[in-house]
Amino acid sequence: MTQDMNEQQPDDPERREFLAKAISVVAGGTIVSIPVGAGLATLVSPLRGEGQGGIKIRLTSVDDLPEDGSPKLYQVVAERSDAWTKYPAKPLGSVFLRKLEDGEVVAFNTSCPHAGCSVGFRSKEEGYYCPCHESKFLLDGSRGDVCVSPRGLDSLEVDKDRLKEGDVWVTFQNFAAGIEEKKAI
Amino acid sequence: MKGLFNWIDDRTGIAKLTREALFESVPGGARWRYVWGSTLSFAIMVQFITGVFLWMGYSPSATSAWESVYYIQNEMSFGWLLRGIHHWTAQIMVILLVLHLVQVVIDSAYRAPREFNFWFGVLLLFITLAISLTGYLLPWDQKGFWATKVATNLAGVVPLIGGDLQKVIIGGSDYGHHTLTRFFALHAGVLPGALVALIVVHIYLFRRHGITEAKPATRAGALYYWCMLAVVFAALAVMAFIFQDDAKRWVPWIVVGVFSAIMVRIVFLILRGKDDDSARRPRRDGMFWPDQILKDAIACVAVMAAVLFFVFWKGTELTAPADPSQPYNAARPDWYFMSLFQMLKFSVFEGALGLVIGAIFVPSILVTAVFMMPLIGTSKIGHWVNVVMLYVLIGGFAVLTAMGFNHDANDEEYKLSVANAHADAERLNELISINGGIPPEGALTLLYKDAKIRGPKLFAANCASCHPHGGLDGIGGEVKEPSAPDLKGVGSQQWIAGLLELDRYISAEYFGNTGFKDGKMAGHLEDIEMLPDDIEAVSAALASEAKVHGYVLPQGGKEFLDRGFDLMFEDLECADCHGIQGEDEGKGPSLTGYMSRDWMIRFVGDPSHADFYGKKNDRMPSFLGVKQEDGTVKSGQLSRQDVELIVDWLRGEWARPGKSKG
Repeated sequence: MTQDMNEQQPDDPERREFLAKAISVVAGGTIVSIPVGAGLATLVSPLRGEGQGGIKIRLTSVDDLPEDGSPKLYQVVAERSDAWTKYPAKPLGSVFLRKLEDGEVVAFNTSCPHAGCSVGFRSKEEGYYCPCHESKFLLDGSRGDVCVSPRGLDSLEVDKDRLKEGDVWVTFQNFAAGIEEKKAI
Repeated sequence: MKGLFNWIDDRTGIAKLTREALFESVPGGARWRYVWGSTLSFAIMVQFITGVFLWMGYSPSATSAWESVYYIQNEMSFGWLLRGIHHWTAQIMVILLVLHLVQVVIDSAYRAPREFNFWFGVLLLFITLAISLTGYLLPWDQKGFWATKVATNLAGVVPLIGGDLQKVIIGGSDYGHHTLTRFFALHAGVLPGALVALIVVHIYLFRRHGITEAKPATRAGALYYWCMLAVVFAALAVMAFIFQDDAKRWVPWIVVGVFSAIMVRIVFLILRGKDDDSARRPRRDGMFWPDQILKDAIACVAVMAAVLFFVFWKGTELTAPADPSQPYNAARPDWYFMSLFQMLKFSVFEGALGLVIGAIFVPSILVTAVFMMPLIGTSKIGHWVNVVMLYVLIGGFAVLTAMGFNHDANDEEYKLSVANAHADAERLNELISINGGIPPEGALTLLYKDAKIRGPKLFAANCASCHPHGGLDGIGGEVKEPSAPDLKGVGSQQWIAGLLELDRYISAEYFGNTGFKDGKMAGHLEDIEMLPDDIEAVSAALASEAKVHGYVLPQGGKEFLDRGFDLMFEDLECADCHGIQGEDEGKGPSLTGYMSRDWMIRFVGDPSHADFYGKKNDRMPSFLGVKQEDGTVKSGQLSRQDVELIVDWLRGEWARPGKSKG
């Protein structure tokens, strides 16, 4: 009896097999998860960093904007980092500027809030038009009668103090497309 | 020799493997309708081969992707052919995939025990589409960039994880280097790897269950098949006529030829075919090698011929390099995604919820329906449900795609945008060859420094609200209310001569819409009544100051020019107001170096300067800014480089092949 137990305790084949299986699985899982983990961590690194945020940039002087309130297109060219490259000046996007009757200036990002195509201005229809899914926007940027976009054009912040000095400074930013909320990216 | 073979076989078992691979029984004999799977394998092989060689020339980064593709396409020998085969095989593969799917469904080859094989096949279909989608971006041209922007924004609307998903896919919040490196890794590594793994399973399962014997060949069956082919080729012929090149009018007729051959076969079937199956050659079981392989090989030759046909007919497009600030009104996905793209225009898919439904849920439901086919098709009715469902899907796909292309064919803005992107690309090719290569910052900088491309765009944005250029805004658009002189041909003798004719001076073409209409110059022109000879001499003299592109010394040479200057100093009294040849600066605009590059840059920079209009300047802004009385500088709206580009464009001075910029 005691002999049996003595023999069985250390050499139980089932127990040994279980241990062998468990250790193999754990060891295998661990050594595979290390490279996979390192890879995934690097892959999702864009989620950790904050976006580059808005860029303050002077687009033009107030005098240059049409008095009749029709919008004018400006290119945003600014210093920008893209991964390992730092560009001295890189075209980032474009902006519509509009002078209102009271002298205020409004700015719209031309990127369509629906799926990100570039919105153009149609002087005949007095509104903006996206050539991808045919969304129309009114002069003030709000959604027009035919419009699949979930929100109106994204307005950008115009620096009021500098506007008084005659210069139009805009905080250029892109926003997440396809959702109702205007969320900076 | 035989000893060596035996030795190898003993160690590897290669003989048995080859036997198993080749001597598969084909019940009912080899059939044309079994070729689709083989053509797909062939197409995938072509993509792997051409893809690896393209890889050897490709560089995924925002400043080198377009550049390396340009180099492959235009500089490497036969690069155009390599890229052409890769591009067009990808297009044709989509068609082959659909044909393969149709074949499997109408022959109910998805039924037990082949369900898993069907599911793996559908997965392969989606992996192929994902490879196409990621490949579309890699050239980093305007077309691929904007289409991918739309596609990745749609990934962003996936519920809950959309925003993060999009960031991971594009490698940040903005498109750039990491978008390309990730798409390239997917396109050339992850997805092809998955494709190979799934194909191995797909073919293993296929061999495990054997070929699904189609219904015996009957006249009705054959007619059905050939009529389907006839419809496909009729559609192709119509498309070929719609999209034909004027230079290659013979092309659509080739498709018509194939269509005619199919029709001959159909007529032959109707007249000579026998309904009674016993009258046909008795069908015995065939072997994969060589019976079926012969038919497969012929079909693959046809596929390769079709690919080469497109490579030579349409070439392989590379539009201008991606530029996020250059609106591209022709952002469209590749044709097989056009139906999804078109669907999102419908107002039922309006708003954020609509977008999620249209872009995510509807496609997911359709995919699920296709996945369910083996479970639905267990009964005869179920099978017919599947067949009808498949035809409805393909019909819907065709209708939506046609609607999309039809809309674009009638959209002037779209066509203008495509034409501009092509013109940019063509000019860029020219600039690269003039420059002898591409600068390290990328090809886009060449376009941004080029007067021919950049000039008209800057003109349209900054000048065309007042000045027309040949009646338009410089880039083909309208000028709403022209209020200043038309600047097309400015500085040429012709343009100057027009200005000197009173009728034209006071017309909208020149100063009719400005304060100068009733100014001193108009009054003076009325007083002196210049003769045509005088106008010719004076305009020739002034044009010699301007020397715009294409200037040639007039007949009569320098003496003729001197006559013009003499007239201006004496009889015509120009010198009373204008400075001429450096003498006697008067109140009117200086004519010393009139319309020369330097004069124009200074003029545009500050027309209110005493050398030009001075205080009489009518509304024209000082584009380079002015020094104000209190000493501060009021900055203008353009940089010096921009003004130079506009001036050079107006003067027709841009880099031309064969000589350096003047």
